[in-house]
Amino acid sequence: MQNFWYVFIAYCTIWTALCMYMIRLSQKNKELQTELRDLRIQLERILTK
Amino acid sequence: MSKNSNSFIAPMSGSKIFLQQVLALLEKDLKTEWRTREIFTSMFVFAVLVVVVFNFAIGADPELIRQVASGVIWIALSFASVLGLQRTGRMESEEDSLQGVLLALHDRSALFIAKMLAQMLYLLMVVICILPLCGIWFRIDFLACIGELCLAFTLGMLGLSIVGTLFGMIALHTRAREVMLPLLFLPVSIPLTIAAVQATAQLIDGKSLRDIADYLVLIGIFDVVFFVLALIVFDYIVEE
Amino acid sequence: MQKWWTIMLFVMAFPFIYLCMNRVFHATVMCITMNVAIMLVFIYAPTEKVQGIVQKIFYFHVSSAITMFFAFFLVCVASIMYLWKNSDWWDAIALSAAEIGVVFCTLVLITGPLWARPIWGTWWSWDPTLTLTLVLWLIYVAYLMLRIEIYDPNRARFAAILGIIGFVDVPLIRWSVEKWRTLHPKPVLIQEGGTTGLTSAMLLTFLVCLGAFLLLFFYLLRERISIAQSRHALEVLRHEIDEIL
Repeated sequence: MQNFWYVFIAYCTIWTALCMYMIRLSQKNKELQTELRDLRIQLERILTK
Repeated sequence: MSKNSNSFIAPMSGSKIFLQQVLALLEKDLKTEWRTREIFTSMFVFAVLVVVVFNFAIGADPELIRQVASGVIWIALSFASVLGLQRTGRMESEEDSLQGVLLALHDRSALFIAKMLAQMLYLLMVVICILPLCGIWFRIDFLACIGELCLAFTLGMLGLSIVGTLFGMIALHTRAREVMLPLLFLPVSIPLTIAAVQATAQLIDGKSLRDIADYLVLIGIFDVVFFVLALIVFDYIVEE
Repeated sequence: MQKWWTIMLFVMAFPFIYLCMNRVFHATVMCITMNVAIMLVFIYAPTEKVQGIVQKIFYFHVSSAITMFFAFFLVCVASIMYLWKNSDWWDAIALSAAEIGVVFCTLVLITGPLWARPIWGTWWSWDPTLTLTLVLWLIYVAYLMLRIEIYDPNRARFAAILGIIGFVDVPLIRWSVEKWRTLHPKPVLIQEGGTTGLTSAMLLTFLVCLGAFLLLFFYLLRERISIAQSRHALEVLRHEIDEIL
């Protein structure tokens, strides 16, 4: 049990990094989807004018 | 356009024109360089600076310096090579001569081979000038193994030229090209650096050609693989 | 008995992959496998008697490394396909795989020293695999820097070339580092878990971890590809709007 801290830090790092990356990806995805939707609406509005 | 990409396996009549074009391009580059000699001068001075600074950084122990001499020389060559490529790239983009040359070419890889040979010649000149200086400063007798050294250096510099020219042309099109070139070039050429440094170090120590055969084979394979790869992808680099 | 299991596993893989096309199913399976993996690592797998509890890092360290290699291999394949077919989808795959590959590469480079320090007494030992990982990290970070700006077909082509070169360089780097390595003193206690014969319990744990990481990799790949494609669609839309106005 003497090297417990190394294992702990290693697993913490892995999980934090992966979770942060996943969260960042899904946030970016949501942002892009909203932007896409807005732009599409804008384009339709311009075309129907 | 894509037909040109397979021209390097064209029949004999095509290869005569190919050779002529390569030589013509090489002559043009060398003539330009001979007028000002600025690429060679900057490469040589930079290599000398690297060697001298390393000398101070490592300290006064002659035995230690003798051991790291090989590494220092190859680092100086790698950095000088990066510098030379950057200057060549800058001159190309200032003159914007690339498009005209590409249109005139029967097979575009002639441009790559010409540039690669030019770069190799510059590096060879730098090596010829810097080895005597290193021999004096590091107290190494290069003449004892001069034949094998020539082989090792030629193979190594061929590799540096191939990879350097390839990434030089890629970096030419990016915005931060001064940063991108070493960033791309140095990691990819690590196997070459490792093998070349070891080969040179062992030659200096007095080993024979048989002992360093492994390293030379590695460098040779590196050269062949990257040469073939470069010829295949070169068309994709220069097409618009 | 073993043969039946392997055949069954192989046969079940195909409907499984098909089911994973559904995002929710994929995410659920991934979460379950990850949790099972963690449980196996900490509760089921026996503690190795020489290395102690630190050996448990090995499961995620080597799984990350294998996933990273697979990611870079995917970059190479996608780059070749992109240069050949000139389709944006392949380019999106290459970029996403490279980014996720760099993430896993960073994880390998962090967990490696954390494993090495208690075992070998030193943070870094220039052993062939770790050095190879470091060089790959440099090459693919350069790849990402090359792509940093907005989508540009020229940029994508150069990056594809770098993607291919980077992976082709792997055997050369590995060979040269191994030759170079023979000059360095080997660390006192060499117990690289993969080669010192794992017990079957450890092997099962490791395989489950590997499976969990691969599922995670493909999930991240999906998300990232959809981001790349959305960005590209945005560019196209903006271009259209600009042209009309």
